[in-house]
Amino acid sequence: MIRISKLSKIYATAKVRVVALQDVTLSLEDGVFAAVTGASGSGKSTFLNLLGGLDTPTAGMIEVGGRKISEMNREELALYRRSGVGMIFQSFNLIPGRDALENVALPLIFAGIPKRERRKRSAEMLARVGLGERMRHRPSELSGGEQQRVAIARALINNPRVLLADEPTGNLDSRTAREIITLLAGLNRDQGLTVVLVTHEEALAGEFAHRGVRLHDGRVETQEKWR
Amino acid sequence: MKLSDHIELAFSNLRKRKLRAFLTAFGVTIGIGALVSMVSFGKGMQKNVTESFRSLDLFNSIAVFAEDFMTRERFDPDERPPAAVPSGAGRVTLDDAAMEKIAALKGVETVFPEIRIPAIVRFNEKEEFRLVQVIPAKVVSSKAFRFSAGRGYGSDDENSLVLSKSFLRRLGVDDPETAVGKMVTISSIAFDFSRLNPLDLAAALGGEKLPFRMEDYDLTVVGVTESMTFAGPMPIQSDIFIPPGTSERMKKLPFSNIWDIFRAREGRLGYSALNVRLSSPAYVEPVKREVSEMGFQSFALADQFEEVQRGFLVMDMILAAVGMIAIVVASLGIVNTMVMSILERYSEIGIMKAVGASDRDIRRIFFFESSIIGSLGGVFGLALGWVVSGIINRVVNYFLARQGVPFIHYFSFPVWLCLGAVVFAVAVSLAAGIYPAMRAARVDPVRALRHD
Repeated sequence: MIRISKLSKIYATAKVRVVALQDVTLSLEDGVFAAVTGASGSGKSTFLNLLGGLDTPTAGMIEVGGRKISEMNREELALYRRSGVGMIFQSFNLIPGRDALENVALPLIFAGIPKRERRKRSAEMLARVGLGERMRHRPSELSGGEQQRVAIARALINNPRVLLADEPTGNLDSRTAREIITLLAGLNRDQGLTVVLVTHEEALAGEFAHRGVRLHDGRVETQEKWR
Repeated sequence: MKLSDHIELAFSNLRKRKLRAFLTAFGVTIGIGALVSMVSFGKGMQKNVTESFRSLDLFNSIAVFAEDFMTRERFDPDERPPAAVPSGAGRVTLDDAAMEKIAALKGVETVFPEIRIPAIVRFNEKEEFRLVQVIPAKVVSSKAFRFSAGRGYGSDDENSLVLSKSFLRRLGVDDPETAVGKMVTISSIAFDFSRLNPLDLAAALGGEKLPFRMEDYDLTVVGVTESMTFAGPMPIQSDIFIPPGTSERMKKLPFSNIWDIFRAREGRLGYSALNVRLSSPAYVEPVKREVSEMGFQSFALADQFEEVQRGFLVMDMILAAVGMIAIVVASLGIVNTMVMSILERYSEIGIMKAVGASDRDIRRIFFFESSIIGSLGGVFGLALGWVVSGIINRVVNYFLARQGVPFIHYFSFPVWLCLGAVVFAVAVSLAAGIYPAMRAARVDPVRALRHD
């Protein structure tokens, strides 16, 4: 269960005050595939960063699986990011100098898992996202779709219950984009993984997602149950 | 994170930028190399002095004087004490009786008077002016004298002498072995009583005929010492020695410096100084006490050695300070490299944080990288310092050997210096890594992951 109430994020510098999110209240049950849509600057990414523990809210409460993210200190947030949640991004964010296997194994290093086990688990995870043959390739040697699969494998390596996807198809052609969304929908269906997908491709999202949340100027505009 | 992962990650990150890591580590190498060779030079000098003092028995030697030698401002045997010394009447005399009394003290091995005879030394068709020191056979045969050829004279009455290798070289003989058994002529200066008549004296005042003449004595070279030698606690080296019996048979002036003349005028007899050798440094204090109760002054180098040690400490600190400059520059190099590395790996740091790296993990990743640079620099710096000082040592010894100076290790590498250098390099690099590591840990993942 993800529960969000009165969540606000305000970026304030000496001169400007930007309200990225204001009074967002929302709850998502376990195992849901939710699509968050909205125009650029509507606060989608900020919403996801707060949910992923990368950023801290100005006000409000976030609770994921019974843990109050909004009250965690830096150390606890790191632990939460390590195993409570997985994130993927538009630009994949793989480490360029390291091959697919090493990228997937990265979170396990911080979890203190021994090297041998890291390799075994990473190889299995890569096989599950359909990249069993390309484990030793570096990101630059992989296509966009393949890179995003590596990122998905990395996000799931610590078995989180929640996957957060920030415009995962933004850098992909439409066919590959569909493949990636299909993969996410499959993980949601088969393993009960909660997926929160931030996208502006509403049509594609509408095909797979259970719930749709539309943000506008930092507020929830509409909330729909699609299926 | 596991320690092994930290080390592996640090090495693989450094390998990605080999040249820069190498150059930074090389900076540390030079810094540590400079520091190590500086300190080892200081330590080497100290070790040489201490060891030669010890091997020459200087720590168990005392000089005994009839008057208050030490209150004189300067240590110059040709100078009269500035403060008026009360006349000899009523004062103890440093004569043979006193010498026997001192010799009987517990711990005293040998006592011999400090006598130096001004003389012209002729050998190999060359001549040199020297103060010939009178030393008993027993002392010449002690470990204070190291021979590169021959040996010490067997008795105090032998018609023989010992001279130093460097003096022999001045006389044009390079191989000490060839000199052993040859005759050396010593010309001492003696009063010519026949000239001591008023008429001649008048001429002498004109500078033509002083009432002196030369007395020639032929002595056999029995030994050649390796270097000039301190034969007593007085820091005056000699390079030609004769036995006391032979000295007594020689006609010579009864003084070797102006001070002796003044003493003689004041009617004070006896020797100006005695050299006392003890069986152990432990006897220095008790014997000095006894000697002062007898009314004499004494001087021991052991007393001065603390001062010498303090001097070495100051020298060490100055040398270390010079070495430190290079270390400071090298540590700035580390800071620079690590800060550059943060800028380049900004998004990588963001990724690591996004997948669950804590601030502490990030800090440690950077600490490990800088400490690996530092420890590599430390180890190679130690090696560099060792190699460079070894080369300098050889070169210096090569040139000094041509002037008759025996081989000396000018650098010393005690174990604590080797370990300390590496530990210090790591400590410095950790200190240099503090700022970059803190900065890396503070990277905001949201900003680092934003791609514009």
